[in-house]
Amino acid sequence: MAADLAELTQMIEAALPGAEVEVIDETGTGDHLRATVSAPQFEGLSRIDQHRLVKAAVKERFDDGTIHALSVKTSVPS
Amino acid sequence: MADPELKSKIEELIAANPVLLFMKGTPDMPRCGFSMRVVQVLDRVDVDYGAIDVLPALQPLREVTAEISDWQTFPQLYVYGELLGGCDIIEEMFESGELAEALGVEQPADTKVKVAETAPPAQSPPLQIE
Repeated sequence: MAADLAELTQMIEAALPGAEVEVIDETGTGDHLRATVSAPQFEGLSRIDQHRLVKAAVKERFDDGTIHALSVKTSVPS
Repeated sequence: MADPELKSKIEELIAANPVLLFMKGTPDMPRCGFSMRVVQVLDRVDVDYGAIDVLPALQPLREVTAEISDWQTFPQLYVYGELLGGCDIIEEMFESGELAEALGVEQPADTKVKVAETAPPAQSPPLQIE
């Protein structure tokens, strides 16, 4: 099953209300997804904790094998 | 559920090595593009580090790191006992100077990661991180 970028975006937005989220498929193969997330919830967190929040939001899609790899880039909105 | 014996062994290693990289392959012969990129960053900041090749026990080690640090993909870089991050985070922190700060070393003037001049097997296509 191909990864649904809009669904992944929504899952991250639902987990982090107010976040700006962009999920792209870098190679068009569904293998190299990249999520760019800017969320107020990241304030004060280490990068690894910021990434944990993003990965947790889409955990279901890792668990069911829809996605295998997700690069994450996080920031705190300025 | 992780193997308790392996888990305590890994915890000891993390405690004993101020900078410890779990990677696919070895620093001299990385077997995954993401692991190679972290090795290149560590070379650039010129820090001594321990490295563990996870490939011989990939699944058991995933279970262990899932329990220890809620993280299952490799590479993983631990600094002073804490998981700092995987490839994305390490590269980002390197470029921003946060990595040098966390490691207590000086930020190199040129943060561009150099591509190895020789052509080691490291340049074979990266394996997919699951």
